[in-house]
Amino acid sequence: MRHHIRVGAVFLAMGVSAFAEEENPDKGNWVSWRGPLQTGESLESYKDYEFNSEPVWTDSIAGRGHPVIFNGRIYSWGYRGSGAELMEVLQAREEESGKVIWERETQEFMSDTAYSRYTIGAPTVDPATGNIFLGNTYGEVMCYNSDGETVWYHSLVERFGRLTFPNGRAGSLVIDGDIAIFRGVTAYWGADGPARDRFFGFDKNTGELLWSSTPGVGPPYLKDSSMSTPVLATVDGRRVFYAGTGCGNIVCVTVGDGTPLWRTQVSKGGVNASPVVHGENLICIHGAENIDTTETGRLFAIKIPQDLDVPLGEVEADQGGAPKLGPEVESWRYTFEQFNCSPLIHGDKVYQMDKTGLLICVDANSGKLLWESKLANEQLFASPVYADGKLYITTSPGDLIILDVTADEPKQVEKIKLEGNCYGSPTICNGRVYVHTSEKLYAFEIKNSGITWAMAPKVERPTPGAPAKLLPVPSDVLLTPGTSQEIKLRTLDAAGNHVGTVETATWATFIPPTAKVKAEMDASFEGNTISASAGAKESAGAWKATSGELSGILRGRVAGSLPYAQDFEGAAMPEEHPIDKVKFGHPPLSWIGARLKWEIREIGGSKVLAKTLDTVLFQRGLTFIGVPDSKNYTVQADVMTDGNRRIKSVVGLINQRYIIALVGNSNLLEVSSNHEHFNEAVPFPIAANEWYTLKTRVDVAEDGSGVIRAKAWKKGEPEPDAWTIEAKHSHAHAMGAPGVYGFSPQAQKSVFIDNLSVTQND
Amino acid sequence: MKPIEFLIALATVGGLSLASCERAAEPAPEAPAPEAPATETSAPSEPEPEASVSPQSARVEAKEFAAEDDPSGGEWTQWGRDGSKNMASPATGISLDISGGDTGEGGEIEGAKGAKWVVKLGSQAYGTPTIYQGQVFVGTNNEEPRIEAVKGDYGIVMAFDEKTGGLNWQFSVPKLEAGKVSDWEYLGICSSILLDGKNGYVVSNRGEVICLDTYGMSDGNDGPFEDEAKYVVGGLEKLDQAEPVDKGDKGADIVWGYDIRSELGVFPHNITSSSAVLAGDKIFVTTSNGVDWSHINIPAPTAPSLIALDKETGALVGEEASGISENIMHCNWSSPAYAEINGVPTVIFGAGDGYTYGFHANEFDVEKDGDEEFYLMKELWKVNCCPDDYRFDEKGEPIKYATYPGPSEIISSPVVYNNKVYAVIGQDPEHGEGVGAVTCIDPSKGSGDDAIVWQFKELGRSISTPSIADGLLYIADYSGRLFCLDAETGEQYWEHDTLSHIWSSTLVVDGKVLLGNEDGELVVLKAGKEYEELATINYPAPIYSTCVVANGTLYVMTQTHLYAYGQP
Repeated sequence: MRHHIRVGAVFLAMGVSAFAEEENPDKGNWVSWRGPLQTGESLESYKDYEFNSEPVWTDSIAGRGHPVIFNGRIYSWGYRGSGAELMEVLQAREEESGKVIWERETQEFMSDTAYSRYTIGAPTVDPATGNIFLGNTYGEVMCYNSDGETVWYHSLVERFGRLTFPNGRAGSLVIDGDIAIFRGVTAYWGADGPARDRFFGFDKNTGELLWSSTPGVGPPYLKDSSMSTPVLATVDGRRVFYAGTGCGNIVCVTVGDGTPLWRTQVSKGGVNASPVVHGENLICIHGAENIDTTETGRLFAIKIPQDLDVPLGEVEADQGGAPKLGPEVESWRYTFEQFNCSPLIHGDKVYQMDKTGLLICVDANSGKLLWESKLANEQLFASPVYADGKLYITTSPGDLIILDVTADEPKQVEKIKLEGNCYGSPTICNGRVYVHTSEKLYAFEIKNSGITWAMAPKVERPTPGAPAKLLPVPSDVLLTPGTSQEIKLRTLDAAGNHVGTVETATWATFIPPTAKVKAEMDASFEGNTISASAGAKESAGAWKATSGELSGILRGRVAGSLPYAQDFEGAAMPEEHPIDKVKFGHPPLSWIGARLKWEIREIGGSKVLAKTLDTVLFQRGLTFIGVPDSKNYTVQADVMTDGNRRIKSVVGLINQRYIIALVGNSNLLEVSSNHEHFNEAVPFPIAANEWYTLKTRVDVAEDGSGVIRAKAWKKGEPEPDAWTIEAKHSHAHAMGAPGVYGFSPQAQKSVFIDNLSVTQND
Repeated sequence: MKPIEFLIALATVGGLSLASCERAAEPAPEAPAPEAPATETSAPSEPEPEASVSPQSARVEAKEFAAEDDPSGGEWTQWGRDGSKNMASPATGISLDISGGDTGEGGEIEGAKGAKWVVKLGSQAYGTPTIYQGQVFVGTNNEEPRIEAVKGDYGIVMAFDEKTGGLNWQFSVPKLEAGKVSDWEYLGICSSILLDGKNGYVVSNRGEVICLDTYGMSDGNDGPFEDEAKYVVGGLEKLDQAEPVDKGDKGADIVWGYDIRSELGVFPHNITSSSAVLAGDKIFVTTSNGVDWSHINIPAPTAPSLIALDKETGALVGEEASGISENIMHCNWSSPAYAEINGVPTVIFGAGDGYTYGFHANEFDVEKDGDEEFYLMKELWKVNCCPDDYRFDEKGEPIKYATYPGPSEIISSPVVYNNKVYAVIGQDPEHGEGVGAVTCIDPSKGSGDDAIVWQFKELGRSISTPSIADGLLYIADYSGRLFCLDAETGEQYWEHDTLSHIWSSTLVVDGKVLLGNEDGELVVLKAGKEYEELATINYPAPIYSTCVVANGTLYVMTQTHLYAYGQP
């Protein structure tokens, strides 16, 4: 026995109700990866079921995610090409034939994505608008209409400091009412400067940021990025979502305004699987070290707090995040190790696979094991899906397994070997089973003489109460000198439900009493319009809007405009380094995620930007200093690496989503955007502790191709006429924020940057 | 001068190494009574009421090295048993009428048949046991905290009393702040402890080589290193910033330490994982130099993948300069072997570029740069163990790494047997399954494919080290299969599928082949050309380390517990 059960509590299961096909909104659709009940269960049942093991069609495009179905269309997400040509592609297809109607390509940039870990997630369709929402691992979040036209777009990396990870986890957006929710580990500025696993709520129609939420905590608990998909529910008069976090918590957050309601620390590593709601229990799994035992992993149920008006726990002073619930919220536990594959619920049964390929069925009310079946020698990714008495399981080695689970023991109905590996869950809709592998998209047919659809329980939407607070929209603003933006004001009730709008408010600078940096944004309000003057400084701060008894907070930044020049000489040097015993200052607060990675130090009588070495966690600094839609500019700076014969570091600039760097240990001038897919370099001898001038520009032609040009020379010497490297890219990045780059491997040797400039090309 | 430079300068002062030898010969003072095996998860264990033997008294009874016909199997002093890395024991009479028991509510093991003791380790344990002079040493994590001042994630070496399983001392290594990229959480110490005289050599999760006093603090804090109370805060790198931490009398005694990262600029990938091998007056250690987050970029392409240190002082006395690091596929995690092959003292290294290298253990090329001298390992031979058709497709284009048909590096140890070298390719288990190969090398043929005697390609990727006994080679692959091959010809005699991933390696003992798998099964097959499955013994946790037999006792280490089977 590898597993044991803890004491259970019994709750009634949420079931599906009688058939009412004419009014069933879920009939014929499967709009998000967890299906209509958010549990992995299909509402379909089939008369005269017969599975056809020969696919009705296939398409040769790789994918690691999950197609969704809406209104006669399949929206699938795959990738094709290799090297610099590799593109992720969202495809709208005819449901019957699989024929592509339209497609939209995206291309990664400056990511650590390794080993073709692309499209690990799924599109989501909003049934109310028919719009398609997609977020990728390089931090783009997009909304397309049904014709494939872009409704809105964000680059979360360049706008909000989303971090990159090699695992490629993207996940899915979740739509609730007018709000689209996405997530990522970000390091932005101020209170949002330290890296945390955060959620973002956007207006689904405009893309305006409504809120960001930090229900989790930081190191040492934050160890992973997570793609645990938020699961929606209504509790105590408010819409909430539950999700796992990269810091080992299960969290509950208010959908309307992002207020963190509670968290419970379950593991010492990330929780990547999505939870499922079963009555008053939330059933979850993780595969890391348990917080309270020396065992690894557990499938468990949390008794969901039903009264959200009473204090649920304390916010830990040193960690922040949501109020912390204690271990007493756990209803039952079954020791079982799984990191990615989420629980599936049908009725009162939970189906779960562990990493070794063992499938178990446990009682959802007690956690008691009902049966187990070894299906493979591993199952690291895909979650099973249930339809009409059968489980559809895709395994990492590429098998589609169908099990009949109507009896006391499972019975294998089919086992079909697919081409490639399978990482995503199957989609079941209209008598078809869709599976994406690393080689193909498959459509299988469930032959039948009739399909019926069960009715999902109606979603209870709370009735808004009296207005209690203001929500500025957007809730975060980015200006450059000489620009302005109008801020709209929504009213929310105490539970975060959206009530209405107000037209007028007074605005005042707001510095949170707990703020470590007493910063103000160099801007002003006229009415509800915020403006940065032509001479506004790089800055960041917050504003408080007040209308009668109501108030709300807006955050914002003023980034530099072109031409931009920064020699750091004006920087204050208020702090003394505790180890090096020298004075130092901080880079502009408007630079994303810069404060913990860079310092201003004095080198040779000049103030310069220096890579911090205080912790190896921040050995790499990839910092954006401008706005994401910048294009057609030149970046130049003086750069230097500390070092010796054995060890040097990497120093460079960011131009339009390319990193152009002097790589000390390799003696290269390198252009890259993801090392696996776009990386060109030329030899360039780099002496430690010697200044060089580095200059770069990106030129994009009308056909979408481009050339990334860079030159480097010893500082003080004449600029060479020729570019040192001219890297051609057939799908060139057309825009991107300028920035600086430093990588001190193992935090051994610092790098330095001075006389930074960004100028518009002619 | 940085602390580590100061440390090495101190350590290289003449006389210290002699002093160290003299200390080893001195009668040991009485050690504190060993601690009882812990049964609680949250607090250090209470002392065992009836004190058992001390490591020193046990040492009196211990044998030195096993003769090849020693029915007890003798001591097991390093990963792979000896420099050949061939895990075949001469022990006989090893009872396999045993069981793994069940895990109780408190995490203790109940009902383990045949076990003279079982101790709780952390939540993950990869540092295969070594046994010497009355003590058993393992590498694990700190999820079973035993020292009050050391809570949270650490790499842990535990030193147990061989007879009772009582804890004599533990070495606690703080994690690198780098996170997963260089020190993956909760992996603990992945190194087996190399035992020699009074010293134990461990490669820490921080990218350090640490020489420990196997007596622990029972004979006082032996120098030259005396900052143990600071080490636990931030390793060797942060001694000058650390405030001392009182670890009580169960803390380790560090003799010297060498910081691979800060001295050589090495960039460990995910974890520093290797075990040192002894070669005369030196130890050889893989540096774990590898790629960064991108899994393509190599931050330290000129740093050595293999180094040699003076075993007494920790001074760097040699470094690999064959260009391995420039061609790393993922990382260097293979622990080197050492043997005299055809009379040549050779260190054999399975490298991160898919080649196996032979380096002279005693001869180095000297390169001068100003006042500095660099001692470069002399490459004797180099053989490609990753077949070309795994590296390139039919059009000659490189096949992508971490794809099923693609190339692999060497992670397990090369094995030396009858002047031949056997090497196996594999990848990080996170990369899944793929094609593999076992290559038999004749070093007398020099470098290149001419030195390949045979190559077996029917197995998948493997991180297991083969065992060879009576002319038969046993090798497991990550997919879960165990193969029996003719060591001379590569001919396959049989294959057994355990239906579970395999990280551990085979042990051949007493006419049987023992192999643990991820499902927590210890599979026992008959050694020989005829296939015969003898038993499957179930354990309540995965088995990722290798079974060991020493002094008549069989050790099975699961992810969470160490079992010692035999007569009390």
